[in-house]
Amino acid sequence: MSTYVERFPAEAKVIRSAFYVSFVSLAIGALMGLLQTLHRTGMFEVFSEPGTYYTVLTTHGVFLVIAFTIWFLVGVFVWAVTTSLDRGVESLRFTWSWYGLMSLGTALAGIAILAGFVDDWPIVGDVSADVLFTFYAPLQAHPMFYLGLAIFIVGTWVAGVDWFRSWWVWKQENPDERIPLPTFMVLTTMLMWYIATLGVAVAVLAFLLPWSLGLLETVNPLLTRTLFWFFGHPVVYFWLMPAYMMWYLLLPKISGGRLFSDPLARVVFILFLILSVPTGIHHQYLDPGISEGFKFIAMTNTMFLLLPSLLTAFTVVASMEHGARQRGGEGHFGWLKALPWGNPAFTGMALAGLMFAAGGFSGMINAGMNINYLVHNSFWVPGHFHLTVGTAVALTFMASTYWFLPQLTGRKLFSRPLALVQVVLWFVGMTFMSNAMHRAGLLGIPRRTAEPWYDGFEFEAGVGSVGELNAQIALGGTLLTLSVAIFLVVVIGTALNGKSSEIETSVIPEPLSGPEDSPLVLDNLKLWTVIAVVLVVLAYTLPLASIIDRGGLLGPGGRAFPMSLDSLVVLAQLATEGALPR
Amino acid sequence: MALEEPQQKRQLGHDEFDPVGTLALIGLYFLVLVAMWLFMYFVEFLGNDPTVVGTLVTGGAI
Repeated sequence: MSTYVERFPAEAKVIRSAFYVSFVSLAIGALMGLLQTLHRTGMFEVFSEPGTYYTVLTTHGVFLVIAFTIWFLVGVFVWAVTTSLDRGVESLRFTWSWYGLMSLGTALAGIAILAGFVDDWPIVGDVSADVLFTFYAPLQAHPMFYLGLAIFIVGTWVAGVDWFRSWWVWKQENPDERIPLPTFMVLTTMLMWYIATLGVAVAVLAFLLPWSLGLLETVNPLLTRTLFWFFGHPVVYFWLMPAYMMWYLLLPKISGGRLFSDPLARVVFILFLILSVPTGIHHQYLDPGISEGFKFIAMTNTMFLLLPSLLTAFTVVASMEHGARQRGGEGHFGWLKALPWGNPAFTGMALAGLMFAAGGFSGMINAGMNINYLVHNSFWVPGHFHLTVGTAVALTFMASTYWFLPQLTGRKLFSRPLALVQVVLWFVGMTFMSNAMHRAGLLGIPRRTAEPWYDGFEFEAGVGSVGELNAQIALGGTLLTLSVAIFLVVVIGTALNGKSSEIETSVIPEPLSGPEDSPLVLDNLKLWTVIAVVLVVLAYTLPLASIIDRGGLLGPGGRAFPMSLDSLVVLAQLATEGALPR
Repeated sequence: MALEEPQQKRQLGHDEFDPVGTLALIGLYFLVLVAMWLFMYFVEFLGNDPTVVGTLVTGGAI
């Protein structure tokens, strides 16, 4: 009874199936990453029409941050709940039903996006969803995109019910036991997700889907945008919390130590539950129509969110140090040498954590209301989130795959050295790309632009040159794509590898300070959920009321895509008629 | 992945383990953060002209 697949063969199949969808999405998304990197740095003209860039960018964003991440994390959550409660899912049919819903949603939204590569389809005509991951109105997608998104999210809700159900049945049988830490992490993450997705559910079902179907004439762009960010910021914690889970559970084990503190881990997940949602407005610091006071509240909440990440830095590093000291490590920094750097799962996750520390810095810049003006909508921002979701999350997921796959298949990892090269290559590629993106943003180079070069104007670099920054971005993007390719080779190689009896046990060692040291109130999920809801009500009621009061639920509107061309026509008319200064 | 028994040389319990290495690393991170903040001061205030948000309507004077 050592590996996961021996203990839970049916659940292992569910997890494998979720992982494989995740990896296919990763492959598609990564390819789009390479195309846009080469195009917008001017290295290679990939598309003749700049409009195609938005199809590429939407595919890159949605396939990576919605499909790759969420498909992976639902697999991890099945693993976490079943191992820590030591019981299989209550109904396999139910489990496959949410898998089916998520698959249907992914297929619909994915087809709508990819259809944008062709201008005119037979019978159905123009199908596209070039609305980017943020799908701001008045950019409009085909209804299939919104429908797919809604079905996908409902699938994740049903998955959450599955895990709550497992816990509920377990609790009846073990009334006096503490919730095991991995299950606790899953439940708090899902509670946060239920609150967060209310925003996007309302935005999509009440406004954007009816609007794209022609049932509504106009929508209030600021309202749907604010509802998007109600979901759009906490979704980053939906990606990050499973990565944290890996750091809390797997890193100490692979380091040869034990988790430093179970109570601290619980506190961190509770802080994420209560603080993740009432912060979304910090993405809208430059949005007119939301007053500065509400933005200030969002900033304050955001700064509090640094707390659980800094607590995590302490707990995880201390747990790794415990492993290193047990392996004979000495000194203030010398213990680092005693860590298992030859293990790709360890090295990948440790490097992901290191990059997250750098992402923490640029995140603090983004979160500050005044200094945000310096970097808003510039290339700095993609630089930032390629450190967080693009490395802290993505690299952790890839690295932990090297631990999971043998557990889920009973097969030996295909080429450990290749896996090690893959994680290091990701780190190196991202160092080039993200650092150069941050610097380019400080020069004012915009994000979301196919060809950011202009007649009669050049960006001036204080140090180096724009050409050098572009070269670094293109080089970094190429290394990252290579890294994904190697990752896929290792995954496929492992899936085809022979069965092995030499796979390490999946048992997670006991923490140094266990659940018996953590106050009972930490397990009171009702209390924390109520506090989370109250904070959301406080942070969002007045801003939403004022947005609706000013523009109405469906106004002031704005014409649907292609808006930029329309507005140019209006501007040209105004200019020729002398209404604007020439 | 091959069977990997951590090469454990000793057992450290809760009370014997003193995470000074963690303190050292996090202290170093703190110093880096402070240095980066100082650097941002130069980028934000000394490296650029004042930032004007929005269109400056001059009525044709420029």
